[in-house]
Order: sequence, then structure tokens, then C-alpha cells
Amino acid sequence: MTSINLAFAGISIGAIAALSGIGLLVTYRTNGVLNIAQGGIAALVAYVFREMVVEWELPIWASALLSLAVISPVIGLLLERFVFRPLARRRASAAESLVASLGVLVLTVGMTAGIWGLGSRPDAPSLFPARAIRLPGNNRISVDALAELALVVTVCVALGVITTRTRFGRQVRAVVDDRQLAELSAIPADRVAAAGWAVGTTLAGFTGILLAPRLQLTPYGLTLLVLETFAVVVAARLASMPGAVITALAIGILQSELSQFQVTGRFAALFLAVQSNLFVAALLILLLVVPRLRELGGDAGSTGRFSSRGAPPSGPPGPADQRRDVLGKLGGAALLLAPLTFAPPDLRNAFTVPALALIFLSLVIVTGYSGQVSLGVAGYAGLGALLSAKLAAGALFGLPALPGPAALLLGALLVAPVGLLTGYPAIRRRGLTLALTTFAVGAVVSRFVFQQQTFVARLHVTPLSVAHRTLSDRWFYVVELLCLGLGLLVVRNLHEGRLGRALLAVRDHTEGAAAVGVDVRNLKLLSFTVSSVVAGLGGALLMLGSSSFDPETFSPLNSLLWFTAVVVFGADSAAGAVVAAGFIVTIDTLAPAGSSTLAVGILALTLGWLPGGLASAVRGVITFLSGRLAEDLPYAAGTPLTPTGRQPILSVPPSGVLSVVPSSKVATAAVTPAGHRYPAPQNAPALSPFGQALVAWVREGTRLAPVTGARRTR
Amino acid sequence: MSAELILTGARAGYRTIEVLHGLDLTVPAGKVTALLGVNGAGKSSTLRVLAGLLPLRSGSLTWRGKKITKMSALDRARAGLMLVPDERAVFASLTVEENLRVIVEAMGRRDISPALAAFPRLGEPNRLSQRAGTLSGGERRMLALARVLLAQPKVLLVDELSLGLSPKVASELFAWLSTVAVGGTTVVLADQYTEEALNLADVVYVLHRGECSFVGDPAELKPSVSADPV
Repeated sequence: MTSINLAFAGISIGAIAALSGIGLLVTYRTNGVLNIAQGGIAALVAYVFREMVVEWELPIWASALLSLAVISPVIGLLLERFVFRPLARRRASAAESLVASLGVLVLTVGMTAGIWGLGSRPDAPSLFPARAIRLPGNNRISVDALAELALVVTVCVALGVITTRTRFGRQVRAVVDDRQLAELSAIPADRVAAAGWAVGTTLAGFTGILLAPRLQLTPYGLTLLVLETFAVVVAARLASMPGAVITALAIGILQSELSQFQVTGRFAALFLAVQSNLFVAALLILLLVVPRLRELGGDAGSTGRFSSRGAPPSGPPGPADQRRDVLGKLGGAALLLAPLTFAPPDLRNAFTVPALALIFLSLVIVTGYSGQVSLGVAGYAGLGALLSAKLAAGALFGLPALPGPAALLLGALLVAPVGLLTGYPAIRRRGLTLALTTFAVGAVVSRFVFQQQTFVARLHVTPLSVAHRTLSDRWFYVVELLCLGLGLLVVRNLHEGRLGRALLAVRDHTEGAAAVGVDVRNLKLLSFTVSSVVAGLGGALLMLGSSSFDPETFSPLNSLLWFTAVVVFGADSAAGAVVAAGFIVTIDTLAPAGSSTLAVGILALTLGWLPGGLASAVRGVITFLSGRLAEDLPYAAGTPLTPTGRQPILSVPPSGVLSVVPSSKVATAAVTPAGHRYPAPQNAPALSPFGQALVAWVREGTRLAPVTGARRTR
Repeated sequence: MSAELILTGARAGYRTIEVLHGLDLTVPAGKVTALLGVNGAGKSSTLRVLAGLLPLRSGSLTWRGKKITKMSALDRARAGLMLVPDERAVFASLTVEENLRVIVEAMGRRDISPALAAFPRLGEPNRLSQRAGTLSGGERRMLALARVLLAQPKVLLVDELSLGLSPKVASELFAWLSTVAVGGTTVVLADQYTEEALNLADVVYVLHRGECSFVGDPAELKPSVSADPV
């Protein structure tokens, strides 16, 4: 009897997960975007619904109608029109769409937190009456569960009929197949895509409203819960709707059934953790077991387009470069040292900057340099923090208590095996699968370690001390800067020379790199391992800076936020990582908490227009300005603008007559980075040193198309 | 000879690379215009500009006296300016019949028999329910052309008709294309140097590095084709 009743109870949660999964699948199959923002949208709609019912005292049906039939689809339509249509227009990679949806997630969570605060709301209204129907045999099923099940069946049948039987369905499948060809065939692809988004966000709204009364409604909590239902679409291999529904119901019922067992002894805590986090566990296990997701559009693996730069030039840098480099570094160092002069409370706020910068650097290594999406960085950071705290307290496997700095470094190093382990799945995985796998690792670590009393109870964070003397705030900040310096050194070594080129080759074209003999496997492992250590160090500093281990700091949602921030500020830019950390801490200090989330979200949505993040936008503006300046400057005929230098070369003018052109004339046809030709007067005076530096910089800062090809000469 | 399409001063490209450097092009109505040139000369880009897939950075495009520089690819297709791209020109996961049906329905009609009459091979038993992705290269080109035929375009843009096809199939498709042209449809076709294209064309543009290096009668070009492959 209990089992049957529990199964009925499980159907309810399973049906909600199924709705969420169907929404994800519809958006994915029509747009090729795995809508990570599903959770954020669900939370937003749930809050709006609660606001209408509780604060404005509207009747439930009116609120439901407004939030599900108006607000939810409108959110989807807006997202399609302003965020994802521009991306689809320029055939952005799946990785770019992933980041855009992360941006939407961060933005919606930021909005919800900004409007309603982070506190929990226990009074979320229930959509269906809280009654139960008596079934034969003394079983009861709640109206909730019945209604949700009916909803799932209706949605499934409706979608199935539409896609296979109708004209619109054929159009949908044509658009899914090839959006550009659909437009060439006079099929309104944008309308199909918009419909897909509207259905997806409406189902997200349903998920949010139905889930809200089951928990203490908080922006982060609900968002995370919806993210965990991604297990369902993984089981469906991103394609099969019945697969998603069955998995969702199965996990829901299993979770419910497990609650009738009592496990005592050593595994009690573990059992309880598994039971209450079955969706997370299923997500990771399914990702490791399911052979391949049926991703749309092929290669989603490359994050190359987040990164605007290639390898640094292998030769010695020119004097202009060196000067710029030194100036930049001095400026950066001065800014980082500035907090030493701050008043104590401000200095303590600044503690977060180097720690966060290290975490961001770890993402630069793994995403910017080697092109792997990593959405689980908070997990590594938290592990680094936890391990170093345990080491310092002498609570790890009976090891003696280590002095602070040794515990700090060793704790970070001990994260390496975990990084290596997650690197292993990454060898064969890429794109969305890799993104989800890393997210799942972070979520599992968070739920099964950081939130378990076994590991974090009585965790005492000892302030950092050297030679038995506790460091003052100033000295602690100096230690943080030293660690950051260490991290920057590691990053530099990974970016330059042979290793850097090999990593970039893996990033830009994995198969090509493997074909020319680059050891892709070990490089991926290396980047994941090093990145996890750097993140662990950052996490440990983050904990020491705040003098406590807070599981919330290392929540999986923060992984997503941090990843987004790094991509926004330029995934391949170490300086960008430091600036991003400074930016987030500054905003959070000056503005109400959560504002940085909102800011990062807004910036992420502009990625559609700034493919390389802010760093490349800044570089682009400088290049453009100096290009314009250089255009106004007179050119010297002898300025080596062309690779061919001064020798006369042969070229074929449009008339088709071969002729010999002196090099000065060739220089006049120099092509700017933007590709347009600008005339340079012959016999112009020589450039000023400034002009030369500027021209050199502009040329080296971007890839210049070769002006005259040897192929032309015959 | 009235002009169907007039492209003036067209500059276009991809990201930082400009491919067309101020191209001027006039497509006469009811004739076959061939765009010839080596790889990277800008043939496909020109067709993409005409079809609205590649936006112009400067310059303008006029269709039958109306300026359509800003018109979307979808609206151009609906109005009858249709491109057959060189690759991925069919919906691989749809069946042959669905491929045909989806374009007929988009143009507000229902009948797919003209396509089967023009390409009997598509009407063979079981062929209609076959997925387009499992067709051979030549059959896929046929299906792509059959789809466009059903839409009854006013202007037909064909990119690399002969790409990857056996000479026999290629000449079959060229033969079909000539019947379309005889029917009064304006055809613009981009190809590497081929006899077929020259035989079919009324006007030839030779593109070189995003600029036009020759315009005129195909007869003028014919002897030089074998002599100078550029």
C-alpha cells in the first residue's frame, strides 16, 4: 500500500521534471539551443505568479492565465528575437548559443534576486487544489499528480501530432534540419524558431509554478532544482520525447520509493544524500553511461570563437610590444596593490579579488587556451578550500596539522586527482555533453560533499599564519597576490612556446591537431588538471578571506556565473580574468548584493555582437582607432607593409596582362585588417616613430591578410 | 534587353575578410548569366549577396527597378528569387516527398507532380519515402533542383551545379537547366570553367579576386579556356 501511494506521490515530481524536459527538448530541437536558462525562467515566472496571488490578491486562475499564457511565452519570444535570432543569423556555434543561454540564466536569476531578494518564500501558492482522490484499495492520489500527469500526456500528444501530421510540423522539421535552407525555400524559419522558444518557456513557467509550493521558494534553489532535471534530456539523448517522459517519471517514482527505507550505520548519510539528490546523481551517471547525445549542428565542441587571439608570436617581441607589455603590467600591479592602502573593511572586501581572479584564471586555462567548456569550476574551488582547511586542522586521514601556507598549497594540489578524473571523460566528450558533464561533477560535489554534515560539520577555518604568527590583513592580501602571481606564471607557461601552440591547436581544431601529432589526450588531461589546481588555490583563498566555509559560495550556480563572467571578459585573456574579478567584487561592494550577477548577465547577452568578449572588443576598438589614425598618416614608400618587401613582384591586374609592378605601387594596395584598400600617396615622407609603432602594433595585433600572393605570379 | 538584377559597387565579406571589392553586375531578364572564375574568386559570395544571405557592406541591389538591398532572404525567396546552394541543398532528415511538399506548401500550392515529371528518377517506387540524406550526390542535386522548380521562381540562382557530379549526371542537369531558361526564367549560375556553362550562357562574367575581369559574350571566351586555365 505504501509503495503504491509513494509511487503516486513520485509521479507528481516526475511529471514536473518531464514538463521541464519536454520544454528543453522543444527549444533544442527547433533552435539548436540547449536552454540552460530554463531554471532561471522557471524561477522568475514562479515569483511573478506568487506576487500576483499573494501580494496583488488576484484569483489563482487569472494569475495562472497571465503568467503562463502571457508572460512565459512573451519571455520566449523576446529571447528569440533579441538574443538567439542574431546568433542564428550568423550561424553561431552551439558553444556560443550555450553561453548566450548562460547569460540569460544569469540575467533572470539576477533579476529575480534583485526584485524579490534572496530570502525564502514559504507561501508560494499551489496551482491545483491540495486535495486527494480516494482510489479503490485505500490508495490516494493527489489532484496535483493527476493534473500534472494529464498535462504531460496532453503536451506530448499535441506536440507529436503537430510535428508528424501537419504542415507546420513539416516546416519545423525542415527548419531544424537547416535553418538557412529553410529560408531559401520560403519557409518562415524565424516564426518556427519563435514558436519553439514560446513553447519552451511556457513549459518552463509551468515547471516553476508547479515546483514552487513544494519547497521554500528561493531564486537560487528553484533554479538549481530545474537545472537538475537536465538528467531527463540526457537520458533522452536530446532527441526522444517519450524517453524524457519515462525517465522523468522513473526517477520521480524511485526517489519517492526510496524514502520508505531506513538505512542506519555508516551509509545512512550517503543513502539520504542519494535519495534526496537522485536527479543530480542520475545526471552524472547518465552522462557517463549514455554513449552519445544527438547534438544538432555537429561540432559544438570548439570554444575557439570566444577567443580572439592565436598564439603569441614565437620570436622576440619588438620594442613597442615590450613597452606596451611592461606598461600594462605595471598599471595592473599598481591597481592590485592599491587595496593595501585601503581602510580595513575595504581591504577585507578586496580579499575576494585575487581569489576570484585565480578561479577565473583556471577557466582561462581550460576554456580560453584549450577550448574545453567547463561548468564545474566551483566544485574544484570548493574542494581546494575544504581540503586545505582539513589539512590545516589536521583532520584529513590522520595527517598531522600542517602550517597554513603548506596546507594552502597542498590542499590545492590535492584537487589535481579530481581534475584528472574529470579530464578523463573530457577526452572523448565535447560540446554540450562536456558542458553538462562538468556541470554534473560540480553539482555532485556540491550536493554530496559540501552539503553533507559528515564533511563540513565542525570545520574550523584557521587564519593563515606564518611561523606561528597570524598574518595581518595586509600580509594576507600580499600572500593572496603572491598566489595570483604564481597562477599568472602558470598561465603564461601554458600559453607560450610549444605547449601553448599545441593547446591552441587542440582548441581550434582538435582532429587537425591530432592529425599532426599533437597529443590531444594528454593535453586535455593536463589542462583540466592544472586548471583544477589553480581553481582549488583560488577557492582556498576565498575561504580564508571570508574566514568560513560556506557551501553556497561553491554552489553549481556559481560555476555557471563564473564561466559566463570569464567568457564575457575574454576567455583567452589572463588580464581579462583579473579585471573580471575586480569588476564583480567592486560592483558587489558598491551596489546591492546580486548586482554583479545582473551586470554579467547583461554583458553576456551582448556576446552576440562581441564574439571575443569585452577583451577583444577593447582590442578591436584600439585597433580600429589606430587603424583610422594610421590611415590619416602619410605612408613612406619604403615602409615594409608587404611581406615581399621591396623587390618588384609580378601581379595580374584585372585586365589579365602580366606586368611588373614596383613594390612601392604594391604598398599602395595594402589591405587593412578590415579588408578595405586605402590609397597611400607615393613618395610620402617617412613615418614618425609613433606612427611606426602604431602601424606595427596594428599589424601584429590582428591577422593581416597577405597582400600579394606568390600564387599570382607565374 | 531589360535588366533583371543590377548590383552596383558591391562590397561584402566574412568577418574581417572582404571578398567582393566593389563588384558591378547586371543580369539580363530571361537569359542565362554565368559567373565563372577560380576558387575564391567570389562567385558563391555574389550569389549569396543576390539571395540575401550575405549582407552588402556598401553598394546596392536592384531587382526589376526596385531596390532590394535590405530585403531578407526569406522575402526574396517568397517573391521568387531563389538560390540552390552548392552544398546542403536538401533537408537531409526529411523524405523526398516531404522535401518537395514543404516548399510547395510554403509557396501556397499543393501539387508536386511537375517535379516528378521533370525528374522521373525521383518518382521511382519507394523513392518518395526515402530520406533525402540517403540519396546519392547526383540524386540530391536533382531533388534540390526539383524543389526549386516547384516553387516556380522568377530568378533562379544555381551555385556549382556540377560540383562533385559525374560528367553524365552533370550534363543531364545542365540540359534540364537549359529548358528552364527557355521557359523564360532568368538564370544565374556560378561554376568553375566548364564547357557546359559556356554553352548555356548568354552572358558571362569572369570574376577574379572579388572583381570583375571580363564581361561579355561566351563566344569570346571559349578558345582561351583551354589555352589559359588561370
